[in-house]
Amino acid sequence: MRKRYHTLENFIYDGIVYLVMIFVLICCLVPFMYMLAASLSSPKALVSSTVLLWPKELTFDAYIRIFNYPNFFRAYGNTFIYAFGGTAIALVMTCLMAYPLSKDFLWGGKILTKMVVFTMFFGGGMIPNYLLINSLHMVGTRWGLLIPFCINSFNLIIMLNFFRGIPHELEEVALIDGLGWFGILRRIVLPLSTPVLATIGLYYAVFFWNDWFYSLLYLKGDQYPVMMFLRNIVNGTMELGGASGGAEKTTMSLSIKGAVIVTSTLPIILVYPFLQRFFVKGLTLGGIKG
Amino acid sequence: MKKEKKPALTPEERSRRVKKAVIYFRRYWVLYAMLVLPVVYYIIFKYIPMVGNVLAFRRYRPGKGAFGTEWTLRYFQRFLKDPMFWRALRNTIVLSVMSLVVNFPIPIIFAILVNELRGTIFKKFVQTISYMPRFISTVVVIAILNELLSPSSGLLNKLLGVFGIAPIYFMNEPQWFRPVYILSEAWQFTGWTAIIYLAAITGINQELYEAAEIDGASRGQQMWYITLPSILPTIMIMLIMNIGHILSLGFEKVLLMYTPANSAISDILDTLVYRTGLANQNYSYATAIGLFSGLVGLLLVTVANTTSKKLTGESIY
Repeated sequence: MRKRYHTLENFIYDGIVYLVMIFVLICCLVPFMYMLAASLSSPKALVSSTVLLWPKELTFDAYIRIFNYPNFFRAYGNTFIYAFGGTAIALVMTCLMAYPLSKDFLWGGKILTKMVVFTMFFGGGMIPNYLLINSLHMVGTRWGLLIPFCINSFNLIIMLNFFRGIPHELEEVALIDGLGWFGILRRIVLPLSTPVLATIGLYYAVFFWNDWFYSLLYLKGDQYPVMMFLRNIVNGTMELGGASGGAEKTTMSLSIKGAVIVTSTLPIILVYPFLQRFFVKGLTLGGIKG
Repeated sequence: MKKEKKPALTPEERSRRVKKAVIYFRRYWVLYAMLVLPVVYYIIFKYIPMVGNVLAFRRYRPGKGAFGTEWTLRYFQRFLKDPMFWRALRNTIVLSVMSLVVNFPIPIIFAILVNELRGTIFKKFVQTISYMPRFISTVVVIAILNELLSPSSGLLNKLLGVFGIAPIYFMNEPQWFRPVYILSEAWQFTGWTAIIYLAAITGINQELYEAAEIDGASRGQQMWYITLPSILPTIMIMLIMNIGHILSLGFEKVLLMYTPANSAISDILDTLVYRTGLANQNYSYATAIGLFSGLVGLLLVTVANTTSKKLTGESIY
């Protein structure tokens, strides 16, 4: 810790720093608090437009209403399938590739790594990808979302760099003891890799949880995740409420949007702070040169 | 491994090498076995679509395969004459450059300021909260923006109303598209991107600051002469990455912000590809535009990388 002296200059300096930080905090928090407050307020309070950061005339109507949409729980369930299934597949595939490539002695490993890095800078565009997945008959099936995104090159490089940092001695001992490579990966390397697994697992989970565009491209209506549900509400594609009268409808839709936003973002917002110490480390491992 | 001219192999030498290879594969075949599935994945889902870009030079006929039927250059000729293409290209470049100019320095400044915070708990708290927007789906971001910026009930317009300013329809008026896009990017990614810079700042030798303090350097001077130069390598690497991705904007966000009213400003290359390709099914034409944008991106990252290597010695590959 640096020493600081109580001078006027330092006082002003600190003042500015703290003001900026408070501004950042407000910017990050206010949008959510507003949506949360709106989702819990009665339409009447929203019309009289006094709702700011605290719900007025507390009501759970909006939540009850979205829970009664037949699609909501299906969409939410779908999101869980993609987030958990997709993340599981992606973690397995990424480990399977990163571990061998982290071995310097592996013939062909370098060229494979280079080919992975190349895909980070150039790839088939939107159309070739779509046509490929279409000709694999994956469009309209859940695999269309689960398989094509199961390795992200950036995540792979992070994991690769992490594996490189694990001391070789442990593995050599295990090898002499007759443990095969799979055994080493499962019993020695992976238990030591919690930070990177948590980081990358979070990245994949967030990707699958938040996706709507690929769902729009590759999935059918009853397979849509909750983000598509929200997007259809925002778009006006989906009819809202059924309440009569224009003003009532817009305010009802505000609280419903708030309710969908809160329910669909809450799981991630609750989870990421616990993984923070991991991903802060993980992100700095992403340098390609390693 | 050193490269030497190989002399003709004697039979013994050859059998020795074969034996060595056999031993090698007997020992390590499991590692190769692990690679099979992922490599197949890379071939199918990354490299075949790359080859699929030839569709830009081929005429697509429905039901006749993803690689088209006959060779042609017409799609390139067509998009070079297409005013929609030039509009999208211009919009892409303007939005990207503006976004880079605004959003590249912000995380650096934020990281430096966070580093100046004294209270550890407050520092942790600020950081945790600042990461939050990064975990939010684009759909949610746009939904929130729609509400906050709504002309009838939005918070911002109510605030402006207090100052007697008439409500502005931010999400629909073309001149507001770029500011809303750029500022919401800043909102979403400042805290996250700052992680990388903060990590670099943590690595700075503290003695440098102590020495500077003894020499009477103010905190501003310390920031300018110690912190900034020390994280310059990181800044350069981030800049290369950003320049390489200059043609690939936050496409999903632009698509969600796209309205007929702001299309003259908000139509970028990716949305053009999406509309012509997937909505109107002009697959070959859209692939041509997509390929153009991909190649320019590749060129940009190469140029940025070589320039940086020459000037600062920093490069990403």
